[in-house]
Amino acid sequence: MSVANQTDLVDALLIKSEVEDFFSLESELLDERRFDEWLDLLHEDLYYWMPIASNVRFDQPEREYTRGRGEANWFDEGKDILRKRVQQIQGGDHWAEEPRSRTTHLVANVRVASTQGGDIGTKCRFVVYTNRLEHDTELFVGKRVDVLRRENGQLKLVRREIYLDQSVLMSRTLTTFF
Amino acid sequence: MTASNLIDNEAGTLSRDIFSSEEIFGREVKRVIAPAWSYVGHTSQVPNSGDFFASRCGVERVIVTRDPSGAINVLSNSCRHRGMPVCRYDSGNSADFTCSYHGWSYALDGALTGVPKFRELYQGKLEKEKWGLIKARVSIFHGSIWATFDDAVPAFEDYIGEDMLFYLRTLLQGPDGEDDGYEVIGGIVKWQVPCNWKFGAENFAGDHYHGYSHLSVERLSVGTSGKKSRHNFAADKTARQPMFLADPARGHTIRASVYREVPEYTVQEAASDEVNDYYRKAHEEKCRRLGDHARLLIHGGVIFPNTHFNSAGRTTIGVWLPISAARTEVWRWLFVPRNAPAVVKDTLREYYLRYAGPAGLVEQDDMENWTAAQRGTEGLMSSKYPFNYQLAMGLERRARPDEWLGRNVTITENTTEHNQRVFYAHWASRMEQQP
Repeated sequence: MSVANQTDLVDALLIKSEVEDFFSLESELLDERRFDEWLDLLHEDLYYWMPIASNVRFDQPEREYTRGRGEANWFDEGKDILRKRVQQIQGGDHWAEEPRSRTTHLVANVRVASTQGGDIGTKCRFVVYTNRLEHDTELFVGKRVDVLRRENGQLKLVRREIYLDQSVLMSRTLTTFF
Repeated sequence: MTASNLIDNEAGTLSRDIFSSEEIFGREVKRVIAPAWSYVGHTSQVPNSGDFFASRCGVERVIVTRDPSGAINVLSNSCRHRGMPVCRYDSGNSADFTCSYHGWSYALDGALTGVPKFRELYQGKLEKEKWGLIKARVSIFHGSIWATFDDAVPAFEDYIGEDMLFYLRTLLQGPDGEDDGYEVIGGIVKWQVPCNWKFGAENFAGDHYHGYSHLSVERLSVGTSGKKSRHNFAADKTARQPMFLADPARGHTIRASVYREVPEYTVQEAASDEVNDYYRKAHEEKCRRLGDHARLLIHGGVIFPNTHFNSAGRTTIGVWLPISAARTEVWRWLFVPRNAPAVVKDTLREYYLRYAGPAGLVEQDDMENWTAAQRGTEGLMSSKYPFNYQLAMGLERRARPDEWLGRNVTITENTTEHNQRVFYAHWASRMEQQP
């Protein structure tokens, strides 16, 4: 956090605190299965993207993750598809989430990377723990790059890049949100 | 225990042990998985000399390369000196592969070209020509790359058989009916499922009985038809007859439909005008090119034992890679029409991503159910009770009078488990042969 003076520092801390609070609220809503309220935190223009990682040579880091809008990805979608995912879970016959998983979303190392207009660019790390049925446990760990947009005084998520630290997905399904 | 004790085709039953026993698994890797032609990738993944990608051929780790002569090679990714992978990357472009242990290096066609201290320590006596990477037999079929390390397996065309060659060729035709009409999009989708590989194989072989699995997604609209369904053909206006085809001599199976007449274009209302126009023109072109054969709609199938594909508006090819009796790795290649505008390719790509794989709204429930079925093979008491494959027994017929649908296949109209029975009968016959 590089800031010129005390006022800027206070502003920056306030924004960081607001962002952290936003992420905590998201985690809380997801873990309490209040998916409709979580959807309300998403901007209508949301871009939600989780590329697939592969093993590439050290000098070709740009090839490590598949490109959005053109290549295979775990997720590469907008709010319309996320809404369908929520609808599917809420029907009671989406077997991969019925009965529902127990989940805990942890977000850490939150940093405000940029502020521009109403947009706040952020970086963080996540740990998502899921457990379902008797002993089906998954651990998803990775990095996130998010953009929050302020609209009518309220923050909404407008872009989420999710970099999962796996190449072969070690889980049979990705039914949780990140 | 012999395979014939595990499978009773007269009764339509099979032992749960074939999914859970590690002893059976060890035998089937040798007798079913290894002696087979396996799909390993597509030529569009290696357009230039030096291009390579890592793949699997059954349980073998391989590198698929294009060498300077333009030929495609499928090489065991295992150094002949100490077995190390000579390629540590999933894809790239390289002039050769050098083992990270002692530095033996190999050309793109597998030839051993570099041995450190060849003169000083081997006194120049190592017979390099005998110590190249182990090369698979390779066959290229309309852009798809197939391989086997088994010399006793018949030639590719005989292994697949004339009927399945027709379906495979049709599968690889673009929406306009042109041969070799597809290319692979970047990124092979890879994930693991804690179930036996045969649960995936038998599902793709012919299971149209599992609609109940997908109730949750049928309520949503995930295709481009605009209809509440997971399938684009939900918007069909022309009547069609579902058909399940199986090649009993080879174990391959197909799920398809045959339209009563050359079908009208199925409008994809949820797609943009540009995408809809593309598919309308492609459909007209296909009908012109294929004539009466344009009545065929392939839904999917299995090339025995573990290569699978899905079609009907979304072409994917994949493999069930056996890890253990209770664990399978899935690799899936996603195809888009080679000559289509970018917007068409992307519409199709988005459809795959929301349909298939671990994040797919449809296949999530398949994987969940196969995992649960695996649990049902583990109990000591329950394992004494076989699984039931009696659906629509005895209703299969030969292709006549529609001989173009195949001369050697059986056809069952409407939902059946005949394809699964053929798959397992062939599995049993392979298991009884000495490797």
